[in-house]
Amino acid sequence: MPGELSRAAAIVGAAEADWIGYPAEPKTALQLHMSAIKNVSKQTGIPISAIDGIFTAGWSSQIAEHLGLHPAYIDTTSVGGCSFEMHVHHALAAIHAGIVNVALVTHGENGWSARATKGRGTGRARGGDPWDAGSQFSNPYGVSGAPSNYSHALTRHNHRYGTTPEDFAHIAVVTRQWATLNPRAVMFSKETNPAGGPITVEDVNNARIVSWPLTLLHCCLVTDYGGAILITSPEIAKSLKTKPIWIAGAGENMSHSNMLEMEDFTATSAAASAAAAYKMAGMGPEDMEMAMIYDSFTVTAGITAEMLGLAPRGEGFTLWKDGHAAPGGRLPINTNGGGLSFNHSGMYGMQLLVEAYRQLSGTAEDDGYSGLPGKQTSARSCVVNGTGGSLSTTGTLVLVAD
Amino acid sequence: MPYTKPIPETGDPLTQPFWDAAKQDKFVLPRCTDCNRVHWAPRWICPHCHSTNIEWVDGSGDGYIHTFAVQHRAFGGWADETPFVTAYIDLAEGDRMFTVLRGVDATKPETIKIGAPVKLEFETASEDVHIPFWRVV
Repeated sequence: MPGELSRAAAIVGAAEADWIGYPAEPKTALQLHMSAIKNVSKQTGIPISAIDGIFTAGWSSQIAEHLGLHPAYIDTTSVGGCSFEMHVHHALAAIHAGIVNVALVTHGENGWSARATKGRGTGRARGGDPWDAGSQFSNPYGVSGAPSNYSHALTRHNHRYGTTPEDFAHIAVVTRQWATLNPRAVMFSKETNPAGGPITVEDVNNARIVSWPLTLLHCCLVTDYGGAILITSPEIAKSLKTKPIWIAGAGENMSHSNMLEMEDFTATSAAASAAAAYKMAGMGPEDMEMAMIYDSFTVTAGITAEMLGLAPRGEGFTLWKDGHAAPGGRLPINTNGGGLSFNHSGMYGMQLLVEAYRQLSGTAEDDGYSGLPGKQTSARSCVVNGTGGSLSTTGTLVLVAD
Repeated sequence: MPYTKPIPETGDPLTQPFWDAAKQDKFVLPRCTDCNRVHWAPRWICPHCHSTNIEWVDGSGDGYIHTFAVQHRAFGGWADETPFVTAYIDLAEGDRMFTVLRGVDATKPETIKIGAPVKLEFETASEDVHIPFWRVV
């Protein structure tokens, strides 16, 4: 039986900034936020002035100030790429409690442009406390960002389940197939990007090693992105021109912050956050017609598919290898082309939400506002999972169409 | 030769006993006196039983490779040493540490075995800071 919060609120619009991927002119995080917010307001017909809840990763007061809003609810949860799935969870509860009528979840990040602006305007806290555990007991050992950590999880998965890096290469290959159907994807085609277009398992195996066993093609892109969604009560949702996509289930969890504290390198808290989301929805993995799974790396997606109950432990990669996740397969996964081949700004959870909304609302090929192209599937339900940190934090949503 | 790689900033009251011992090339670990379990990284409260009665005990310096990776891209002083092997080490006493693994060939990852025994050693990074590393025995 669905929980009390199930379908207590709906996502009623989801829009991107006018510039995503590799913009010709550098953008700031604030620019990307504002462009996406303006677009989602136009798409839904909800004026920005009606927004009374602000949800974003770390920047809520700046965003509210820039919009001239005095929100009644402010959520700044910033725990990596899954923050936005958690924001949806929190907005659901706030709307159900009657504290908020219109919740804005927004994200802007210039992973690409920061290189041109020497790190200014990134919208992310950098540096950190020299006395935290990572600074004292991980950083002295030459790890440099996410790839250098996530590689350890793939080695352990290979050891425990007898899998190989090649098994996970299929995730990159199939995800690229989706990207070739989405003109907005950075890796759409050879014409739009010399590294774009279809790839093979051999291409993945033979790409430059970043952190063995991860080659470059096991790793996500570094791009710009802005995205925003609006969430409202059922009453308001039914008065709008856009289709409501119901939040049937939501859950979040975490197992650690620093990978040093990760107990099982082949499992994440997505098992717990998914259990909570499925329970609230009164649904299970067998009811899901598509999935949006955080693919910062192939190994992230493979392990997470297992945690979401879409495949047995040790066999998540088979969804891709056997073609089920591919265009035309029984369980489309990462239909936008994923963080691997569509867009990944550093925190990818917003991209997952925007694509899930586009698919379930039937607007994947034309969002009804800007005509943004993509590939439409027939899915009516979607499990969305974000992963943040070093396989640390997870947020899972079950979204359904009317 | 000067140590060119990142040196932890000491002075944290939580971890100073570790760095004080390390300076003598001595390995100590935090252990809860209520549940007797060792944990890493150091904490003000035991993550197992939430006791705040924690003491520092001598560590054996014995461990096993839990998992590893080969870093082909790095920054600062480590950039000069690529490729190098990083590993998570299961301590004989329980819990886990991170390290750059020594005594292995980074160009032949297939020769590195999960579960292989390793031993702790210190490198003098500065007058005050000796950094622990693990070596395959």
